[in-house]
Amino acid sequence: MEAFQGLMSGFQIAFSLSGIIFIFIGVFVGTFIGMMPGLGPISAIAIMIPVTYNMDPALALVMMAGVYYGAIFGGSTSSILLNAPGVAGTVATSFDGYPMAQQGKAGKALAIAAISSFVGGTISVVLLMMFSPLLASVAISFGPAEYFALMLLGLTAISSLSEGSTIKAFISAILGFMVVTIGIDSQTGTARFTFGNANLLEGIDFLVIALGLFALAEVCMLIFNRKDTSVSDNKNLGSMKLSKNDIKEMAGPMGRQSFLGFIIGVLPGAGATIASFIAYITEKKIAKNPEEFGKGSIKGVAAPETANNAATSGAFVPLLSLGIPGSGTTAVLLGAFLVLGIQPGPLLVQDHPDIFWGIIASMYVGNLFLLILNLPLVPYISKVLRIPRPMLISLVIIFSLIGVYALSFNTFDLYLLLAFGVIGFLMRIFSFPAPPFILAFILGGMMEQALRQTMTISNGNLYIFFTKPIALSLIILSLLSILFPIIKNRIKKPVG
Amino acid sequence: MKKVFVILTILTLLIVSACSSKSTGEDAGAEDKKWSPEKPIEVVAPAGPGGGWDTTARMVTQVFEEENLIDKRMPVVNKAGGGGAVGWAYIAGQKSSNHHLFVSSPPLILVPLNGQSQYSHEDFTPIANMIADYGAFAVKADSKWNTLTDLFEDMKTDPTKISVIGTSSPGSMDHMQFIKIAQAAGVDVKKVKYLSDPDGGGMTALLNGSVEVYSTGVAETVEQVRAGKIKVLGITAEERLEGEVLSDFPTTVEQGIDETFINWRGFFGPADMDPAAVEYYTAKFQELNDSGAWDEMRKKYGWNEMFITGDDYKDFLNKEREEMQVLLDELGLAK
Repeated sequence: MEAFQGLMSGFQIAFSLSGIIFIFIGVFVGTFIGMMPGLGPISAIAIMIPVTYNMDPALALVMMAGVYYGAIFGGSTSSILLNAPGVAGTVATSFDGYPMAQQGKAGKALAIAAISSFVGGTISVVLLMMFSPLLASVAISFGPAEYFALMLLGLTAISSLSEGSTIKAFISAILGFMVVTIGIDSQTGTARFTFGNANLLEGIDFLVIALGLFALAEVCMLIFNRKDTSVSDNKNLGSMKLSKNDIKEMAGPMGRQSFLGFIIGVLPGAGATIASFIAYITEKKIAKNPEEFGKGSIKGVAAPETANNAATSGAFVPLLSLGIPGSGTTAVLLGAFLVLGIQPGPLLVQDHPDIFWGIIASMYVGNLFLLILNLPLVPYISKVLRIPRPMLISLVIIFSLIGVYALSFNTFDLYLLLAFGVIGFLMRIFSFPAPPFILAFILGGMMEQALRQTMTISNGNLYIFFTKPIALSLIILSLLSILFPIIKNRIKKPVG
Repeated sequence: MKKVFVILTILTLLIVSACSSKSTGEDAGAEDKKWSPEKPIEVVAPAGPGGGWDTTARMVTQVFEEENLIDKRMPVVNKAGGGGAVGWAYIAGQKSSNHHLFVSSPPLILVPLNGQSQYSHEDFTPIANMIADYGAFAVKADSKWNTLTDLFEDMKTDPTKISVIGTSSPGSMDHMQFIKIAQAAGVDVKKVKYLSDPDGGGMTALLNGSVEVYSTGVAETVEQVRAGKIKVLGITAEERLEGEVLSDFPTTVEQGIDETFINWRGFFGPADMDPAAVEYYTAKFQELNDSGAWDEMRKKYGWNEMFITGDDYKDFLNKEREEMQVLLDELGLAK
């Protein structure tokens, strides 16, 4: 009952006039910054921290939380319209969102993204509210061995992300693995492949790779294909109305991925990116028509968008109930707590129930605001595609440059961005798929670190994986995921 | 709509040009002895937003501005990368500027020793150290060890069974603070198993039993201790700290290990800074250190006062470096 009272007091904050105003400011700023290619939740929160200095802590944090999930909510826009994912969590959205936009269904794709974000966000807040204290133990159940196994499962997606040549997909993934080893090796402190260049010590940022391989490569393709008007000069935005069939198709992924995304979000370190990839892959695996994925499938947009928003709520579990930041973004959010004199930890719910429950309650209101804010904007935002081609291309280039420059105000990153733009362009021309590259890049670093931490703990003994039930089950699941298509083919053949 | 995008483009260009406008021209005339800033002072935090350096820089400039101690603006600029190396390289490029400051701590000594930065404290002008922080070694609440001595005894018998985790990479702060104390206690430091988790998963790994010991800062442990999830076996200070929970943490010295590790944090200028400017800043930092507003800031963040300036500061840094050099040589990590 204590929890119920807490929630009621939380709703009092969320529904007070000042509460509503600050939630609105939070989600508005978040969704707007999220829409900019290159600017994600981390920059959004960092920008807002100084604004909160002398504010009431509960209101300030409700607003900051709004900035966070608002940025994830709005993040899909540039992935869908420009193939320029500004946030790692929306890379998977571009796989089907951008093809839809090219087919003249931009309005529809944005509407699907907004609705599935809303559903994912809302269902996961219910889960957060009911199970937060319970799930706190799940959040810390993952040690290095378990993380390695989870990353392995994520990697099995490479084969499903390949269109055409599987070999090319694997080559692309290996390139991703190679690039992620650049920088200081966390376990020995040795600089790898930096060629004595201090700018490379920290490794290459995700944003540089994503904007290079996706946005700039796309720009190059547009310039390269400019005589080919039939394919991409589609200025038709399409209706944003969804038919009954569309909604039917979305319902399954939205329901499933709200839960799956939330659970993955709860794990520190996993977060929205892995949630969105795993959502995309599972939906493709169980779909009746997997061949539609990558060509503008409704499910392919709905699944990652539901999952990344659900994971965002999930990330609040370790932060609010344990005081452990699960990702770079929640770490900055933790910084915002500290600035306001609130120390998040296992006792937050006892010491500051108003803040704990206020944030949870505000997320219902915030998600509703986001839907109301985003849906009517869809027709206007999708008009971006109507901007004359030369201007659009320049805008994409400028935004990519700003996004990367804002990382650390280092011009070296801009040259890297251009280099990856060229690499991405060459990969397109020779039809090497970019998604396996980015997947390997995202998972590779964490995977190597987890494996080597595990080996240090076990003194180099691989047996440790058999002693950890969660790790073992995930490894078995990965094997099944690889073998499943092969077995399916074997069974089919004799019949057909 | 078209108009909107034209405006957006213009705005964007403006942002770009604003970001790239570097400080133009250095002031030549600093002939007379008294010096005071003629333009905004750029304060560099050689790390991303949110960390210790960034927080220190922002709080110091905030108090400077709010208390009107310095009447010029003091924008904080983040230059992240290479554990500080990128920011230090940037400052090294501002040689003899009187309008650049930066904040640093032990990594300014450790990172160059590890061979990851060509610039060390000797390439800059130390101005004032402001605060001290200490390391803490935590274990799970239900762990069999109750003192550092218990832990180190077990480490001496079988080092393969105990893993230590920290945020920074081997050879940097979380690792070296543990090594320094363990060596003083007689542990064979070459056999210490150290894991780094740069994404901050150290606490998680401790709580789920993946590792046995978490080497971190004192502040990071307080909430988990209050909740009864972990216990702190020792902090690397000479005397106990003040404050709720904090005063319960035993020090290394009181457990018979005659060694400490100070996470000092202070401000530096570029090489060849005008002595008159150094004098100006030293006086200003002194005023800051004595102000009530800064005292409140220290209390809020749990920082301890540690004010050193001038040659004393240089001597302190040199001594720190010597100690670290010896330890790193022993571990085979020095470059």
